[in-house]
Amino acid sequence: MVIGPFLMIGLTVGISYVSANSASSSKQVAVISSSRSLRQAYLQQPTDNINAKITTTQAAEAAMKKNHLAGYLKLSESPQQVRADYHGSSRMASGLKAQTQNFLSQYQQTRNYQQAKLTTKQQRLMARTPVLQQHIAERAGTANLAKTISFWILVTMIYIILITYASIAAQEIASDKGTKIMEIIFSSTTATSYFVGKIGGILLVILTQIAIYLVGGWVAFQVAINNAALKPLITQNQSLIDAVLHNLLNLNLLYLFLGVIIYTILAAYSGAVVAKAEDASKAAQPVVMLGMFGFFATFPFQNNLDALLVKILSYVPFFSSYFMPMRIINGTVSGWEQAISLLILLVAIALFAGYIGSQYQRLMLQTDNRNFWQHLIHGWRRQS
Amino acid sequence: MLSIQHISKQFGPVKALNDVSFEVPNGQILGLIGQNGAGKSTTFHSILNFIKYDGTISWQGHALSPADFDTIGYLPEERSLMTKLTIEQQIIYLARLKNQSAKDIRPQIDDWLGRFAVKGTRKSHINDLSKGNQQKVQLICTLIHHPKLLILDEPFSGLDPVNADLLKQAILRARDDGAAIIFSSHDMENVSALCDQLVMLRKGDMVLNGTLSEVRNQFGKTELYVTTDWSATRLATLPAVDHVEQRQPGQYRLHLTDPAAGPSIFAELTQGHYIEEFSQQPPTLDEIFRMKVGETNA
Repeated sequence: MVIGPFLMIGLTVGISYVSANSASSSKQVAVISSSRSLRQAYLQQPTDNINAKITTTQAAEAAMKKNHLAGYLKLSESPQQVRADYHGSSRMASGLKAQTQNFLSQYQQTRNYQQAKLTTKQQRLMARTPVLQQHIAERAGTANLAKTISFWILVTMIYIILITYASIAAQEIASDKGTKIMEIIFSSTTATSYFVGKIGGILLVILTQIAIYLVGGWVAFQVAINNAALKPLITQNQSLIDAVLHNLLNLNLLYLFLGVIIYTILAAYSGAVVAKAEDASKAAQPVVMLGMFGFFATFPFQNNLDALLVKILSYVPFFSSYFMPMRIINGTVSGWEQAISLLILLVAIALFAGYIGSQYQRLMLQTDNRNFWQHLIHGWRRQS
Repeated sequence: MLSIQHISKQFGPVKALNDVSFEVPNGQILGLIGQNGAGKSTTFHSILNFIKYDGTISWQGHALSPADFDTIGYLPEERSLMTKLTIEQQIIYLARLKNQSAKDIRPQIDDWLGRFAVKGTRKSHINDLSKGNQQKVQLICTLIHHPKLLILDEPFSGLDPVNADLLKQAILRARDDGAAIIFSSHDMENVSALCDQLVMLRKGDMVLNGTLSEVRNQFGKTELYVTTDWSATRLATLPAVDHVEQRQPGQYRLHLTDPAAGPSIFAELTQGHYIEEFSQQPPTLDEIFRMKVGETNA
């Protein structure tokens, strides 16, 4: 389970590499021309996916039949005009098409100037082109992208860890329900101690998993920056990577952990209120549903973090673990607001754990058929 | 000493326990008998604070608290162990809940496995053990920390006579070590063999309470065991004989309506001559149990 994501990433990279390698030769295009100078002029451009070894139409068609070539470009020139004919099993790739059109225009223009016998001044005038300049605030663009990436990484991590461990906690506890081993345990220690110990054990497993992911991520990053192929990509996106890491390795990590704790406690409660051990598989459903609700509720608000509902939910336990990190990433929440939300979450966890701990023995030892709500109401009545 | 004073427990319309009181002094064994549903397990659950009840239960003069958990050994009615663990892991896990250190418990495990003749080693998985051997491992878990209060719910159920004897020896050893022991059983022979005291529950009411001899004697010496060449028909003509039951050829049990008739029956049956067997006794525990159950059904 813990190494699952690593296996998935490894598998994806492996499949992509094999797929890219096998696909690369069939994407190539050959350039054929009876004019050696025209062909050389074309090949002097910085181009990808050009097979320069094939020089004849017959060889190109043979290679196409074997699926080693996507097509071939036949260049020809008459005294008036330069011409390119593309032969392929599908249309030219847009990049290659634009590049070829550019080459033909320049080549034709050069020939036109020569044939028009223009003076140098006239040639200079004719060479004037309009200016199109894009002015992009690169830092803001990177920051927005970093926010989006950070948001997705964080909510997905919360969701996956929460769903996984909520199911484990609920099933683990539900399967103990009504068993005599619980009587032996409760004759040896208090139900509250046992409950807190059980939740603590599950949380240590979760912490171990998060630690493995952090170490695994660091190792993968080290491998990537020492890899010749990936290093330029990382250097190019260094500011983006730094921004994403900054967004993840702060209070948000605590929100992730506390979110998982409160959902795990709820899952344990769900496990404890199932009617019998055989219902263990159903036990996690309410928690999974709530977790899914929180996860999907974040989607519409990604770009609307000023909405009142977002502000409210960022203080409500079970939802604050999704919504407050969104606001923190976006930088639209003050330190005080973060502290208040965190305090509410911590108090809720303590109260919730205390309440369930006090009910745990009764819930685990009884084997009646009351449902979740009946148990809850019964529990409250006993408290009052 | 375990002291139970006037405890009552109601489950909805059902009165599970009704004003039950008894005591188990240290170094004594109390047998709790009664039909299924009589309230035996409810009594145990009340002692262990698993359920809320009316009345008072105290251990060594104070209410049982988590601080006393380490001195309790509890064996529930149905057996349940963590089947994925090895014998050693299971014993140590439960012993550690009783604040015993693994370092102290580990060296004792082989001795206990030998004492209960468990078929398997400390590394055997619980899953791989037979039902009987799992039960013995559970008994070891109950006893290994030398509890001062031992609560055993149907400890003999499912044990063959040899293993039942091993358990009896373990219970007697715990008693000799000063433990107060309370156990339930349907097997009156085991109860007779082990108990210093006896309590019988019937539908939550305590219908018997006392030492074994007190309980038996309160029914009077109504059972007469004789070995004679008289026929059953002739024996039935003797005074105060209610009915005659043949145990073996020549061996009879006569049920008397009046225990005082014993001497006159002896005189008439022997006519002053030697007789191989003439023994007047109170009813056996088994008979008392049936009698008490019969009172309800009647």
